[in-house]
Amino acid sequence: MNSIRHPRLVLVAVALLVAVTARARAQAAPSPASPATPTGGADVARPMALAIGQPAPMRETRMKVVDGRERSIAAVAGKKGTLVIFMCKHCPWVKQWQRRIARIGNAAQAQGVGVIAVNANDPAAYPEDDFEPMKAQAKQLGFKFPYVVDATSEVARAFGATRTPEVFLFDAEGRLVYHGAVDDNARDEKAVQNPWLKQAIDAVVVDKVVATAETKMFGCGIKFRGAS
Amino acid sequence: MAKIQRHWFTLVVSMLAGCAPAGGRHSPRAIAPPVVPLTADGVHALVASPGARATLVNLWATWCAPCREEMPALLKVARARRAEGLRLVLISTDAEDQLPQVARFLAAQGVTDTSYLAAGSEMAFIDGLDPRWSGALPATFVYDGAGRLEAFWEGAANEARFDQSIQTALTHSIATEKPTP
Repeated sequence: MNSIRHPRLVLVAVALLVAVTARARAQAAPSPASPATPTGGADVARPMALAIGQPAPMRETRMKVVDGRERSIAAVAGKKGTLVIFMCKHCPWVKQWQRRIARIGNAAQAQGVGVIAVNANDPAAYPEDDFEPMKAQAKQLGFKFPYVVDATSEVARAFGATRTPEVFLFDAEGRLVYHGAVDDNARDEKAVQNPWLKQAIDAVVVDKVVATAETKMFGCGIKFRGAS
Repeated sequence: MAKIQRHWFTLVVSMLAGCAPAGGRHSPRAIAPPVVPLTADGVHALVASPGARATLVNLWATWCAPCREEMPALLKVARARRAEGLRLVLISTDAEDQLPQVARFLAAQGVTDTSYLAAGSEMAFIDGLDPRWSGALPATFVYDGAGRLEAFWEGAANEARFDQSIQTALTHSIATEKPTP
């Protein structure tokens, strides 16, 4: 890099390379499929996430709450709907969103939506995600809903959840109506343009269709228990 | 023009970051690689561009512990396979204001080739790269020389997994290459 004394020239060269290669690709294949379009032969190691319209899996599985009791998804289900939040303590992205999660979750519960936060991470990989730190986290954030341990990570696997935070909202009939992120800006709440989860909860409470049913944001991969 | 100025700024930041102590296993005076913004479309163009028999795209972030932990194994395999035609595309998903940290980490790992920063909205980037990707980090995509996806996984990998997926992509590329007249 010592030899790069003219960054503008390097930029022009990079831009030309990308433009030329994109053009060559277009010329080589007049009606190309995207190179990253899923192909039949690709080795894809990723569980399928629960589809919109599906019921929550493993609803009756009892999980240990930070207060020592046990709760299942079925037990916390509300009259207006149910919110399942996969989260943890160590993840920097959870840390960015967790105060919003607490506020939205507490408000949802008051509106008749049952709420449960689930930690499926293996504490052997992240000691910060062990039971005692979870207790402190729930207390600090003022959770009015149960924060539970998915002791085998099987609930997360059944949902097809792979990152934290990742939320699943079910309507009064138990059908998945929203899956994805809390909102579109983890780092700066004031800059949020799409408060997706809050909008979805507001829709579920009045039995309206959720406008944006699936969203994605970067997050920490769940470290499943029993995985290599 | 604004874009070009932004890229120029990016390069300058990266180079300046390289002057800072790296704190890694390489020399503290290691020079950081250029780090430039790249959209999902840009990734597809890069993957399909000539010059490689296989391309491994790794999505990472400085805040992501497993991403940082797998990087030495990934770089070791990539360096060993480079002569066989492997192209490594490292894409940081850090925010733009984290560029100095990105550049410092890469310098500490001994990375000197151009590296990338995911550009555009997060959801557009994730779905644009592959709708099956949830956005979980780290994530790795391996393509053959024609830009066909050979393997994709979320989560950290070890040296053996990186090497095996690259070997498979290289083998497929060589098997489908047209003989030179």
